[in-house]
Amino acid sequence: MINPDLLALVTTLKMAALTTVILLLIGTPLAWFLAKMQSRFKVIIEAIVALPLVLPPTVLGFYLLIAFSPQYLPGQLWQQTTGQQLAFSFSAIVIGSVLYSMPFVVQPLQKAFEQLGEPLLEAGAMLGAGPIDRFFNIVLPMTKASFITAASLGFAHTVGEFGVILMIGGNIPGETRVLSIALFDHVEAFDYAKAHLLAISLLVGSMVLLASIYLLNRPKITAAKRVKHES
Amino acid sequence: MNLSLNFQLNFSPFNLVIEQTLSLQGITGVFGHSGSGKSTLLRTIAGLEKTLEGTITLDEVCLINNSESQAKTFVKAEQRQIGLVFQDSRLLPHLNVLENLKFAAKRCQHRRLDIKEIISLTELDSLLQKPIEQLSGGQKQRVALARAILAEPKLLLLDEPLSALDRQAKASLLRLMLKIQHELQLPMLYVSHSVDELQQICDKLLVLSQGEVLGYGGIHEMIHQLNDIQEQTQADDFIHQQTSLSLPIKVLNNGHGLTVLSLNSPLNVHDEIYLPALEEHVAQLNDQTLRCFILARDISISLTEPLNSSIVNHLLTKISAINTKGNKVLVTALFTQEDKEQAFFVNISIFSQQKLALSIGQHVYLQFKASAVRTYLY
Repeated sequence: MINPDLLALVTTLKMAALTTVILLLIGTPLAWFLAKMQSRFKVIIEAIVALPLVLPPTVLGFYLLIAFSPQYLPGQLWQQTTGQQLAFSFSAIVIGSVLYSMPFVVQPLQKAFEQLGEPLLEAGAMLGAGPIDRFFNIVLPMTKASFITAASLGFAHTVGEFGVILMIGGNIPGETRVLSIALFDHVEAFDYAKAHLLAISLLVGSMVLLASIYLLNRPKITAAKRVKHES
Repeated sequence: MNLSLNFQLNFSPFNLVIEQTLSLQGITGVFGHSGSGKSTLLRTIAGLEKTLEGTITLDEVCLINNSESQAKTFVKAEQRQIGLVFQDSRLLPHLNVLENLKFAAKRCQHRRLDIKEIISLTELDSLLQKPIEQLSGGQKQRVALARAILAEPKLLLLDEPLSALDRQAKASLLRLMLKIQHELQLPMLYVSHSVDELQQICDKLLVLSQGEVLGYGGIHEMIHQLNDIQEQTQADDFIHQQTSLSLPIKVLNNGHGLTVLSLNSPLNVHDEIYLPALEEHVAQLNDQTLRCFILARDISISLTEPLNSSIVNHLLTKISAINTKGNKVLVTALFTQEDKEQAFFVNISIFSQQKLALSIGQHVYLQFKASAVRTYLY
């Protein structure tokens, strides 16, 4: 039988990886839209995106739990489409993580897109590059460092999540029991040796990830900054 | 190729209102003060400004039509086949020189030019593998120029591409632009606030002031009009008043360190203009014709022929206009020969004007040193 902590690690990594991919797919157009938006309603969208930074995770978890229950529309729709209950499922903790880690992905990307500005995109257009061409051949290589930062922060923050998962996922081994929940379980059971092992693993893992981000961004000036400096 | 402009655009602090058809052959200059709307005009033609009202047509193809009465048209910048060289080069910093050039060549739909030929034409062979941040300002603009050409536009727009460069780099790039124009026959619209630069390379000039067209015509004619505009507008810093000339080279070096230009007939010795001897390659480049200018403050007037003077240039002319502004007088004097007229512009003090009792119709000699005949490029 597989070690429960190892299973929690696999669930955590699966959840964090899937969340990061979804966040990059949703967060990139959202960040682009916010970077280019000039309407006064921009601040409202920005506030909504940033809300998980200040909101207690249990508040977000509580409202998500209600929304995911079969009595309410999102939960109902999910159940009708998939035939399964959304609350206390792996899908629920992925959706919760996407919302909870959104600012960690959107904000660095938005800042990078704002710093990049229009000059190089205009230069690209004048050479015959259309919008998609410009995104993949100018924006993406120029903001590569910010994408790495956004993905790493999104991943790390998802790995460290506790409150939201406890509220909407519970503690189902192999489904919603992630490392932070497993750690909590060990502490509650006074099994400090296992708790230590998980805690130190999370600590070292997070340290290594953050140090890698700083290492990647540190040695050279990012391309976006270089352009700003030149202009 | 004709570019028909008929639009207005909200442009702080005034509106840009242009109604003008430009005949695009060779290099057409766009001159105006900072904030006169010249860069905005280029951006509008390029398709980077979208909020205008009116129409722009290039060679019978409608690029934008925002008129209320007709079906609206807007051709995107990337589909216009118009190139733009920006003031700040805007090279892609994540690519090296060659990759920047290939970026343009790859996106060109009907490739006719050979990338190697353009690299050689723009003298970029030794820089191809260099990262952008290691290039000097002049090198960056040369790459930007080559990159714009490799996109093979129908019209090339240049938005003050030399403004950040030193004099030597400017002259070198201007010569390169003339060479490119000569070899590729690519129409160019060149924006600058430097009359000296425009005078050297442009065939026609469009003058803008406060968002409106002040004049459009041949380069020398327009520069001479600017002399008058300056008198009327009381603007002191507009341009240096000058006589702008395009003259055939009679003798490149007369054996006494002077190049001899002819104002009219190459056989006539009374219409010669002397300047310090130019280098050999000048004559080949410019079809035996030299663009030069003489600042109005560098010419003086004499009532008798100054035969016993060290000043080598003296021409018999007839005064056609006298404009006084404060203590300064701008005299326009016509040199006439074989039914051809050439206007010269002279600044003198009001003291000299009164002392010589100058009047319209009077014959006078203009005199100026060889070194007063200037050319920006050589």
